[in-house]
Amino acid sequence: MAQSTTLDEPIGGLMEGVTDSLNSDLVQSRATGEPEWLRNRRLDAWASYERTPMPTTRLEEWRYTDLSRKLSLDALTPMEWSERAFDRESAPARMAEAMEADHESSGHVVEIDGTVAHVDLDADLAAKGVVLTSLRSAVEDHPELLEEYLATRALPADRGKFQALNAALWTDGIFLHVPRGVRLEHPVRVTRWLSEEGKALFSRTLIVAAEASQVSYVDEILSDDMEVQSLVSSAVEVFAGNGAQVQYVSLQRLGHGPFHLSQQRTIAGKDATLDTLNVNMGATTARLDLNAQLLGSGANSDMLGLCFGEGDQHFDHNTSQDHVAPHAYSDLLYKGALDGRARSVFRGIIKVHKGAQQTDAYQTNRNLLLSEEARADSLPNLEIEADDVRCSHGATVGQLDQDHLFYLMSRGLSRTEAERLVVIGFLGEVLSKLPLGGVVEKISRAVEAKLNV
Amino acid sequence: MSDTPILSIRDVHAKVADEDTEILHGVDLELGKGEIHAIMGPNGSGKSTLAKILAGHPGYEVTAGSITYKGEDILEAEPDERSKAGIFLAFQYPVEIPGVSIANFLRTALQSREEEGGELDLFDFQDELLARMELLGMDASFAERPVNDGFSGGEKKRNEILQMAMLRPELALMDETDSGLDIDALQVVADGVNKLHQENPDMTVLIITHYQRLLNYLKPHFVHVMVKGKLVRSGGPEVAEELEARGYEEFKTVEA
Repeated sequence: MAQSTTLDEPIGGLMEGVTDSLNSDLVQSRATGEPEWLRNRRLDAWASYERTPMPTTRLEEWRYTDLSRKLSLDALTPMEWSERAFDRESAPARMAEAMEADHESSGHVVEIDGTVAHVDLDADLAAKGVVLTSLRSAVEDHPELLEEYLATRALPADRGKFQALNAALWTDGIFLHVPRGVRLEHPVRVTRWLSEEGKALFSRTLIVAAEASQVSYVDEILSDDMEVQSLVSSAVEVFAGNGAQVQYVSLQRLGHGPFHLSQQRTIAGKDATLDTLNVNMGATTARLDLNAQLLGSGANSDMLGLCFGEGDQHFDHNTSQDHVAPHAYSDLLYKGALDGRARSVFRGIIKVHKGAQQTDAYQTNRNLLLSEEARADSLPNLEIEADDVRCSHGATVGQLDQDHLFYLMSRGLSRTEAERLVVIGFLGEVLSKLPLGGVVEKISRAVEAKLNV
Repeated sequence: MSDTPILSIRDVHAKVADEDTEILHGVDLELGKGEIHAIMGPNGSGKSTLAKILAGHPGYEVTAGSITYKGEDILEAEPDERSKAGIFLAFQYPVEIPGVSIANFLRTALQSREEEGGELDLFDFQDELLARMELLGMDASFAERPVNDGFSGGEKKRNEILQMAMLRPELALMDETDSGLDIDALQVVADGVNKLHQENPDMTVLIITHYQRLLNYLKPHFVHVMVKGKLVRSGGPEVAEELEARGYEEFKTVEA
């Protein structure tokens, strides 16, 4: 990192994104009563936020997402932590429906407006030492694990402007720890709900799967449509120990209105499998930063993603396959279907470090445009410092043309049914690679609902 | 044959939707219930355009004339409405739909034929699909493959015939079904159409083809010759034989 200059005098870019509501007073209040290590971590993160310039479209990574137009930080007030009870009976319809479709599970977490309101975990798993809890409780109950893993190795605050912001201001989140050798048969299901407009919400997820453990985790975030923007910042850190098998799934089904910022880092140890699926259906703007690090030799990551946009939705995916160790494998497949004036950006890099010989790394991005005004930009990239590797990348943008539609309609399908079938078929390739109960059904229904608008 | 024609085409002029050049210059044709007609013509004569406008392809525009199906003007009807009314077009170039199985596609197509709120019985559907595939001599695993994705020319055309068998049309339009097929595949396809016609002799079939060879297997009652956007000759099966012997040149010069 750059030599830190004195912070007394503002230099160019300093204090950008500091607002009437998002400021050092807020950090102080969040840190009040917290253990010293955490308090210091927040303050350091905030200092990092203040001295990091707001990303602009001059940066390659933000070229297609103009934050000065897409995000109104000045208008947002922070979402505060507050004691909440969760009552399934009175849950909003969209939330209840989403939870209804969650069949088998090892445990549930419900987070409402940045506060964990409910946790349950299979008793046998709890007896085996599995921990599923709110991040706030984990600070009390598992300080040693949090101190080691929270915003340190995966998403340290100095990694970027918004990593810093989240690390300084998070209110709550989810902590999952699976001890050595423990295997969860069913997924852990997390439902996160946003109800308020005009808010900035900061939540974190920390998953630590110890050696030879196994777990699937489905993180779903939802809201109703909103007139006024809210920012939802999700920081996700996933560690798979040696030989562990971890699946992390993010289903972003926010309503129209919010800006979703998801920053994820996965770190796979020796011979570990760490797969991810990122689904972007909702929000007005959704930005994903995913860095998958293959840290141990023989590590393995399938990175799957899909999005379906309509109206004025804007999805920006920024991925990195970070091969540190030799003999590791990563395979990325991201697909996007876009209707209306929706737009998607895919920018992916395969980075193979010097010592990472015998790397296998692949990257594919495919887009399907359903309207004349939809747009997809695809920028796959390779950066290879080793000489004995197998890497490939490819991108396509195709159109659902008149002949496709005519063929399907000539069999009696309405235009909407025809589009639905083509989109489901197109996106289905991604889903078939990670068949988790309930996920495919939810996505199919979400696609249908959007086409019926 | 029957009293009122199932399809009546009167003085139809048509062009590509966003171009000015007219392709059909006044076509008249009547098809009676249960009849098998063939339209033959050289490349670029407009015969495929006629098939497409009958099925409602949005890329073409009928600028004059009328098309009535079962007594009703269908020019304004969308392709799906025409399909539900019993018109089927077997495509010259069937479209690939990756990720969607033939079974799923057909189930969706049949579901769309149900009354509002009606649910297709999935067990009945499965039984029907297996029975139709057996009739056409197809392996049951064929229906699990994604629609036309990576299919050979012959497989694509067989898929068209399977769809026709499932949708049970009253008017089947076969647009150059023989193109790109070897003689074995051609026979399989013709055999399928023959079986469907035997099963339902009321089904009307319009075959569009460049070559006479398909008509060795699919016997038309009537043969029409289209040249430069007009039907220049109509008659019985003997017309096809004449064409086979003399080619289209004669008609072209007559027309000129």
